[in-house]
This record gives sequence, C-alpha cells and structure tokens, in this order.
Amino acid sequence: MSRLQVLGTWATILTTLYLLLSFNVVKIPFVSNQIKDQIVPCLPFNLLVTFGSYCLWELGMGVLTFGECEEAYKELQLEIKEATEDLRAKGVEVD
Amino acid sequence: MYSVILPTYQERRNLPIIVWLLAKTFNENKLPWEIIIVDDASPDGTLQVAEQLQTVYGKDHIVLRPRTGKLGLGTAYIHGLQFCSGDPEDSFVIIMDADLSHHPKFLVEMIKKQKDQNADIVTGTRYISGGGVYGWDLKRKIISRGANLLAKVALWPGVTDVTGSFRLYKRQVVSNLISRTISRGYVFQMEIIVRAVAMGYKVAEVPITFVDRVYGESKLGGDEIVSYAQGIVALVKTDLTK
Repeated sequence: MSRLQVLGTWATILTTLYLLLSFNVVKIPFVSNQIKDQIVPCLPFNLLVTFGSYCLWELGMGVLTFGECEEAYKELQLEIKEATEDLRAKGVEVD
Repeated sequence: MYSVILPTYQERRNLPIIVWLLAKTFNENKLPWEIIIVDDASPDGTLQVAEQLQTVYGKDHIVLRPRTGKLGLGTAYIHGLQFCSGDPEDSFVIIMDADLSHHPKFLVEMIKKQKDQNADIVTGTRYISGGGVYGWDLKRKIISRGANLLAKVALWPGVTDVTGSFRLYKRQVVSNLISRTISRGYVFQMEIIVRAVAMGYKVAEVPITFVDRVYGESKLGGDEIVSYAQGIVALVKTDLTK
C-alpha cells in the first residue's frame, strides 16, 4: 500500500465514525446524547488544531535546538592546510 | 571492501582534500578501501587532479570512471556501483558529498555501528544530539527543518534526517534500492531511505556535523522547493514496498 492509500483508509474510517456518531446511529456507552452533541461536532476542528500545533512545535523546537558546529569548521580549515602541504609535496596540484 | 562512490562536478579544489581525508581515515583504521570517482566532464580539470591522486595512492585505491557529460547524481551512483570490487556479499558502499560538507572521520562510527547492529544502512543525521550544521542562517535552518517535517508528516520515514546524503550501505542493499528509485535531486536521497525503511531494511543513525562552505553561493530557490514538494507528492502515491 502507498502512504496515500493508508491515509485514505484512515480518513474513511474516521469520517464514517464521525458521521455515525453525529446521526445517532451508534452510541458511546456512559455518555448521554446531550454531552455527545457538544463534543462530536468539535472533533474535526480539534484534530486540525492538534495537527497544526504539532507541526509548529516540531518546527519551532527543531530550529531552536539546531546544533551548531563551529569547531568542526575550524578543524576542517586546519586539515585542509595539512592536506594541501602534504599533497603538494607529493606532486598533486592543490589550488 | 569499503567503496566510496564520489560523483564530481567542478570539484578540482575539494577533491584532493576529501581523498586525503578518506585515505587517512581508512588507513588509520586498517580498512580495505577504494574511491570510485565519477566525474561528469568537469571543465575545471577535476579529472587531471584525480589522475595525480591516482599516482599518489595507487590505481587499486583510486578508481576513475568518468562520464562524458553532466548526467546527474542517480545515474552516477548506478555507474559507480558497477565498478566496486571485493566480495559482493561482504562489501559496503559509502555515498557522500565531495565538497567537504561531509567529514570522513564519521565513517569510523558508522562502520562500527554497522558491525554492532548488523545494519543494512547507516545514515548520518544532522538533527540529533551530537550533530549540527555550520554556516547556515536562520532562514536556511527553518527551510531545512520545514522540509524534514513535510517529509515526516507525508511519508513517516523512520529516520530523523531524510534529505541527508552521507550514508553507508551494504552493497547489495544499495543496488536493490537504487534500481527502484523514481525521483531526482534532494528527493532522490530521501526516496532511497524511505524505501529502505518501508521494505524492512535495518537502518541505524549516527550524528554528523555538516560544514556548509558554499551556502551563499548556491541559492536555494523557489524552483527547488516546488520540485521538492512535487517529489514528495509522487512518493506519497507510490507503493514503496515494491
């Protein structure tokens, strides 16, 4: 299955469940219709907001905790120098 | 045998350094190695420098397999793979950038991890603790994380750095994966790793540092971002286990 097919399957299942609950075809045990009617219509929006928050969190945290490596740069500069001298001595043209 | 496939285009300045660093790393750790240089007819004389390096290190270590035109990364790997030596069942292929953004010293850790876990693939990641990037401004970091997030949400790749291209593969694994790829550019590297995870290969990660000395010269334009998004859409629609 492709990722699209998996996503499509889940979307169908969740939408069907949502519709069944909305039209009182199925009932949630221990939850009255009154309470259910206040919660179920909000669920799609809640899902969207949760997803949006997740993305924002991942992006924000990712950028905030992005590793820097100044030492790696400095180390590389030294190695370039060493390599250049060594190779020039052996006859390689190093610009 | 550890074969490094190095596609080059206009890398006259960096090629001697990367070869020197690779040779040093492999020799210090007493590993059998070869570097397969696939030059796409660089007009700056990259091939000449490669020939000089061949004189220094020997033809069994520096293998030259140039091509007659700029034919792209994916085909460069396929081309290079044909010339790997050593026992196919016990050989490894390393793919990395030739512009010194990837440092050969991380190969030691990658090789060790491969042996410890019998991993099919070991990939370098810039995003976990111990990894990082030098030379990127805030905008570039946001784009990088954004691209990675998009791939994560759309493809559930199972690795922390999807567009990274510093990897160690078992030779037969990379052959198998490359023959199935459909994408180009950044997405090509991502496709290989996403397919690998989907097909059940064992993938390990090692933190790496990425020293970008060319950012600022190369512009990451709107075109590339669009083609990246298109590439992801194509992969979402594909059955990656086949």
